[in-house]
Amino acid sequence: MKINGWRFGLVAALFLVAVLVTSLFTIRVVRHASRLRARVDEPVQAWMSVPYIARSHRVPPSLLFQAIGVQPGPPPDRRPIREIARAQGRPVEELISQLNEAIRHARQGSPIATPGMPLEQGPTP
Amino acid sequence: MLIDQLLSAFALYGLPVLFGALLIGAVGIPMPASIMLLAAGSFVAQGDLSLWWVLALASIAAILGDNLGYCIGRCGGRRLVLSVTKRIGGEARLLRAEEWARRWGWAGIFFSRWLVTPFGPWVNLASGLGLYSWPRFLFLVVTGEVLWVALYVVLGKIFSDRVLALSEFLGDLTWAVVGLVVAVWLGRKLLRYVSQRRVSPNGNAVHVT
Repeated sequence: MKINGWRFGLVAALFLVAVLVTSLFTIRVVRHASRLRARVDEPVQAWMSVPYIARSHRVPPSLLFQAIGVQPGPPPDRRPIREIARAQGRPVEELISQLNEAIRHARQGSPIATPGMPLEQGPTP
Repeated sequence: MLIDQLLSAFALYGLPVLFGALLIGAVGIPMPASIMLLAAGSFVAQGDLSLWWVLALASIAAILGDNLGYCIGRCGGRRLVLSVTKRIGGEARLLRAEEWARRWGWAGIFFSRWLVTPFGPWVNLASGLGLYSWPRFLFLVVTGEVLWVALYVVLGKIFSDRVLALSEFLGDLTWAVVGLVVAVWLGRKLLRYVSQRRVSPNGNAVHVT
């Protein structure tokens, strides 16, 4: 392969970019590792089920089910909250905000503000 | 949004969604395969899925997808490969994958299964185009994919309450490794150039082999 001056410059520039990108990702990896160790709360997302959110935030699942108006199991309702929102005919953002509120209350040890709607039956076994 | 929709479908319908996503992802269509494997590990920890079914079906899907990519390269030829890959990078990425496959041989196939996974689908096509021995390709793909699936599912099981954080950690780790591989490759190129220049300092152009 023939390499002249400008090609050398190009390869050197690409090398520096690769080193820079590697360094940036390495810094992010270290940050993520410390977050993993510190068990930083994960943001509630539409694909998550209530038992997963409860496990991730270390709060009882029954409190979260109650907050969004779903009858807690058995068997535990494993539906993603997107699906629960669809079944209830409500926007998923509304459920996410109720779940965040319930988590906050559960951690403060105060009673959960109920959304004021009847409990939906969980899935049949 | 795609990640969210796919994970919702996975939580709702289970293993068929995981199988389909891994198969399509191995062919080269962008799929959030890694986070789905981590989520599968989390579902295993919560008792929703069987560990052995997850390991078996996910490995089979990834291996089938890899072989499909190899077949497209081997049987379809360059014209078909370029028409298939037009929307996901086309010739430029294919040339890089061919360079990678030539340079790294078996290691390129094995490590692109589980360590530098973004190269995987392209290495499949390049291996097929380059008429790489299929039994050897299959052996490397099976060992690499089983390792990838087992690693991610077990990590997802261990960190079953921190799937998002773990996915970000592993995603960035993969890109850091890809960056390191590219940096080492370019660094070696530069070193060879510099050593050639020492041999012939007066030339405007030098040959590096």
